[in-house]
Amino acid sequence: MKQFGKILKFELKYYFKNKIFIGVTIALALLIAAVMFFPRISDTLRSEENTGGDETRPIMLVQAGETVEPEAVQTAFAAAFSEYDVQSTNKSIEEIQNQITGGEAECAFVITGPTAYSYYVNTLSMYDANTEIAGSVLQNLYRMHAMIAGGMTPEEAEQVINVEIDSDVVSLGKDQFQNYFYTYIMIFALYMVILLYGQMVATNVASEKSSRAMELLITSARPASMMFGKVVASCLAGLVQLVAVFGSAFLFYNVNKSYWAGNGIVQSIFNIPADLLVYMLIFFILGFFIYAFLYGAIGSTASKVEDINTSVMPLTFLFIIGFIVVITAISSGDVDNTAMMVCSYVPFTSPMAMFARIAMSSTVAWYEIVISIGILTGSVFGIGILCAKIYRVGVLLYGTTPKIGSILKAVWRA
Amino acid sequence: MKLELCNITKSFTDKQVLKGITFSAESGKAFGLLGRNGAGKTTSIRILMDVFPPDSGGVHIEGRPIDYKNVQIGYLPEERGLYPKKLIIDQLVYFAQLKGMRRRDAVTAVDFWLERLGMLEYRNRRLDTLSKGNQQKIQLITALAHDPDIVILDEPFSGLDPVNAMLLKDVVREQIAKGKIVLFSSHQMNYIEEFCDHIAILAEGKVALTGNLHDIKRDYVRDRLVVHTENPGAIRRDFGDCCTETEDGGLMLQLTDPNEKKAMMRRLVDTYEIDSIKVFEPSLNDIFVQYAGDKGGTQQ
Repeated sequence: MKQFGKILKFELKYYFKNKIFIGVTIALALLIAAVMFFPRISDTLRSEENTGGDETRPIMLVQAGETVEPEAVQTAFAAAFSEYDVQSTNKSIEEIQNQITGGEAECAFVITGPTAYSYYVNTLSMYDANTEIAGSVLQNLYRMHAMIAGGMTPEEAEQVINVEIDSDVVSLGKDQFQNYFYTYIMIFALYMVILLYGQMVATNVASEKSSRAMELLITSARPASMMFGKVVASCLAGLVQLVAVFGSAFLFYNVNKSYWAGNGIVQSIFNIPADLLVYMLIFFILGFFIYAFLYGAIGSTASKVEDINTSVMPLTFLFIIGFIVVITAISSGDVDNTAMMVCSYVPFTSPMAMFARIAMSSTVAWYEIVISIGILTGSVFGIGILCAKIYRVGVLLYGTTPKIGSILKAVWRA
Repeated sequence: MKLELCNITKSFTDKQVLKGITFSAESGKAFGLLGRNGAGKTTSIRILMDVFPPDSGGVHIEGRPIDYKNVQIGYLPEERGLYPKKLIIDQLVYFAQLKGMRRRDAVTAVDFWLERLGMLEYRNRRLDTLSKGNQQKIQLITALAHDPDIVILDEPFSGLDPVNAMLLKDVVREQIAKGKIVLFSSHQMNYIEEFCDHIAILAEGKVALTGNLHDIKRDYVRDRLVVHTENPGAIRRDFGDCCTETEDGGLMLQLTDPNEKKAMMRRLVDTYEIDSIKVFEPSLNDIFVQYAGDKGGTQQ
């Protein structure tokens, strides 16, 4: 235990004195701070621009010659597309096309009948919603026209078209839209930290072996203390980095809270409930340990640092597959599907899967959480002991990377 | 204090590496552990240091199983290596602390040894900025700083220049004088002969020979004389087949009976111009080749 403390301190010093570690942590915190300040900065810039007064909007051409009421169409389009400078045109289609490709106008609607139009645009963006808006504008005009023809007054028709529905959504379980973003961010953070720091543990062990410092270490400290010291140190370093990044985000969000008022997504991210943060911490630590132990054990069997990349591949794949299952499930909204149910009890995937279900599902019972955490905790101890044994055997093996079978045989005999 | 390895066996996967190793070493004396590559020296040392347990047999101190909490061991491995990118003082203090020292004591001890070995100026440098010989001196400190009862030095002189070798010799002599058990493992026989009272030669996982080096040499039949003379021609002519040349230009005379040594010495001194004459004793090198070589046998 005494040795463990000394090793932990020595390893922590390695992280906290490492210029790259410090640099990356500060850079990430600053980047997050910059993102949080962005609306304030862009607001300031915009207000400065506005005082200049000369506002230029992209030009949208509308040719409404074939409709019954070209003026009404023109007015409706101008009202619906406020971000465009809507201009009416009578030019031929070729000329309109030339205007768009030449950059004079951004897009054009050529209305060929009361219920038909052609849309011209140079590059059709993935997020172009202009056709949907134009469709509903024309639909409304058509309905208005039909209702007036049927004997209604224009006022009555307008009332029918623009009738407002009062609604009140009460979510009795979880609001998946609210939870989606922070769940996504937290699972992604978990994924990044485990993958990065796990690899670091493996490299760290392998480099001690290749520099032959291991010859001395193995005679100075118990292998279990060595491995636990390293894993706990990297877990703490990872946590510190997470706290720095999320802390910076939280702090600077609160500083700029009023500028983010219009952004529902960002608001939902920072409305994360405290109990979920506790779960995050539990699953982060347990998930980190289970993978870091395995990465450490794999590192101990490699003779050279270069061998690490190939040796850790199966473990990394296992982790990535778990990640994909979880991310697919939360994106589809169905976090209680069979794959997720299984994954939330398998120790290698439960840190992500169970966490996602707690965050996004309304049907997770308390005992499911207890069972999942219980299995995970048991596995952490089991895998920790197994990995310490592999480590003990592995660190003294030099030459070609041994096969899994022969390592387990040696562990069994040890 | 008496350290004993008693009938130790050890197998790795399907290969038996140690087949009943037994030898003992005493404090205040240096012990030489010899053997060809793969004879089982490092495995014996690792078992002695509790890196892994033996399959059978045990390590004893004063006849009782060793308690690693009470016996400190310092080790200079043959495969040298520390943390190349870390500060020398940091890693030396770390290793001393792992051996149970408090931080303040560790710093004091490390500084003492840095000064003793003339390395104090490198205290706050990174290890990889040092030459190989200096790195080896730094590594030596990891074996000595915690003032161990047993010092194990595996090829301590390899890579050292004559001045540093001299410094190390002084340090080893000090350790022996302080009453420590110094265990040497080396292929440089001259150093073993210089320091070690007792030796063990391992061959294929067994002890081929162990005992007091002086006694071992005396056990050889003393029926040969080594003669140095200005005029070897006359002796060679007179003794014919009984006379061979030694590597350093002397002559080796084979006697028919060991008891005629004295008479033969007198006769040689009276008859020829003799510079020196002595009874031939095999060197440790000769003994090693005989016992650890391909036809090496176990001790009779």
